[in-house]
Amino acid sequence: MVAETAREFEALEEQARTLLGVFIKAGHEAVAPAVIQPADVYLDVIGESLRGRSYVFLDPDGDELCLRPDLTVPTCRLHIERHRNGDRPAKYCYNGTAFRFQPVGAGAAHPREFRQAGIESFGIADREKADAATLALVFEGLRTAGLKDFKLRIGDLGLFRALLEAADMPARWRQRLMHQFWRPDAFRTELMRLTQSPADTPGGVPNELLAQLDPEKPDEAVQLVSNYLDSEDIEIVGARTVGEVTDNLLMVVADQRAEPLSPRTAALISSYIGVTAPARAAGARLKDLMGSEGVDISDALDAYHRRLQLLTEAGVDVVHADFSAEFGRTLEYYTGFVFEVIVPMLGEASPVAGGGRYDKLIRMCGAPHDVPAVGGAVHTERLLAAVRG
Amino acid sequence: MGKEGEALTTRLQIALPSKGRLMEQTLELFRESGLNVRKTGNERGYRGEIEGFANVDVAFVSASEIAANLKSGKAHLGVTGEDLVRERISDWKTRVELLKPLGFGFADVVVAVPQCWLDVSTMADLDEIAGGFRESHGRWFRVATKYVNLTRRFFSAKGFTDYRIVESLGATEGTPAAGSADLIVDITSTGTTLRANGLKILDDGVILKSQANFVASNVAQWTPSTRQAQNEIMARLEA
Repeated sequence: MVAETAREFEALEEQARTLLGVFIKAGHEAVAPAVIQPADVYLDVIGESLRGRSYVFLDPDGDELCLRPDLTVPTCRLHIERHRNGDRPAKYCYNGTAFRFQPVGAGAAHPREFRQAGIESFGIADREKADAATLALVFEGLRTAGLKDFKLRIGDLGLFRALLEAADMPARWRQRLMHQFWRPDAFRTELMRLTQSPADTPGGVPNELLAQLDPEKPDEAVQLVSNYLDSEDIEIVGARTVGEVTDNLLMVVADQRAEPLSPRTAALISSYIGVTAPARAAGARLKDLMGSEGVDISDALDAYHRRLQLLTEAGVDVVHADFSAEFGRTLEYYTGFVFEVIVPMLGEASPVAGGGRYDKLIRMCGAPHDVPAVGGAVHTERLLAAVRG
Repeated sequence: MGKEGEALTTRLQIALPSKGRLMEQTLELFRESGLNVRKTGNERGYRGEIEGFANVDVAFVSASEIAANLKSGKAHLGVTGEDLVRERISDWKTRVELLKPLGFGFADVVVAVPQCWLDVSTMADLDEIAGGFRESHGRWFRVATKYVNLTRRFFSAKGFTDYRIVESLGATEGTPAAGSADLIVDITSTGTTLRANGLKILDDGVILKSQANFVASNVAQWTPSTRQAQNEIMARLEA
């Protein structure tokens, strides 16, 4: 943490009080979730890579805990504790420390302990409206805290999802591409593979067995795989059933019989990912791009435009905002709108605020269904540095 | 620091394995190179010396403790497996230097899955089925291993993130059959134990081909005299 003196700490707290004042006035309830969180939830949401960038430890009972790497997941958990289904509309705000391991050593720009002041809105069905309200409120907070010169960057993962849905390909390929979207290299490889040889056979599966499997006759296929395992003296080990193995082999067979992905569709997907433009122009650019290939994502584009309109009405300058189709690609829990606030002094690698939509997170934290959720957080140490100039 | 402390740190500290084949082979290699290691005090003691090297102390400790001593700089030199160096020292490239592979203590750290997973032979296959497995079983794949860090780094480099680690301190290869894990990361020398437990190594699942190494600590207190002792020992081992 940057604040090494009481005075510095007080300056940060004072700024945070200003931010919280703005958030509370807008109807967000101030909450203070626990610093120490069960590691389990984070491991489920983020995966084992969490261990590489967070402080995970065992308590004397042998339970795995962590110092919270953000305040969004703890706020989701708090919400579910209050409302089992997690779907009741609620607006929260918070100010507190978060902790990240910095593999190349902690520094002023990337401290291992830093403070966040932020907001979350859960269960609000009108997504674009909630997106716009969230960003507008973060802007209001930043301005009230004295920040003048800043730049907005936005993205929308809903557009990519819509493009995949609309593009002509088997559902399982959509799933694969969606799954790999977060890893640019793997995504490129997968896209290439689908256009060239979608039916790469898993090594070690005899072709005679695959040739006998018929996707139209799944029951018969399970029997054939079962017989094969018996004849090869291969034991069934572990939780995965022969049925699950067979289902996946049938997908391989289906891929062998399928036409490869059309190069035009693959090119369209690649071009989409490469789009960067001023926020307003981006919509038109995407419309042209999709139209030229006869792919219809007008619902997602309408939502994109409506959000811009609502942002403008709320006083957010979207004319100077940048859109990047790829933005949001590093954080797997975002599902829709994403944003970042950049100040020239700190550069793009150290945004003063950021956030977005994560409609699956509350379910991952334990609610029975997906719940619309959007939030944003201010990195207060950076904000203070930027305001002081 | 008092006089005694200074005297201690100007001596070269070497950590050698305290038991098993690794100890035998280490001592044999040293003997063949004309480095006669003797235990001091009683025969079961954990301290030793090398004949003809007045300013060298030998400590016999477990292989994993050797990695820890090299990491902290408590030992200048040590003999331990590359697997332990990479697992126990997150910034091993800066903290230690692998001086010389020793030609014994061979062990491959590998990713192994049940043989009955006919549809899985690579890390990419594993990645592809992980989401479906979670949907039907309500949990991520469990990976049993004692190599938590090696596993995490390797899986992350392969773009595979949908799993949970179950730390295992023994009989890892039996965990899939026992139902406490779905796949494992473990060491193997011949693969026989894996096959006996109904497991197979993924085609691209060799994380590390490890062997015993002579390792120097970069963070130990080096003086001209400890450097000189190191050079003399290295010269004998290289001869």
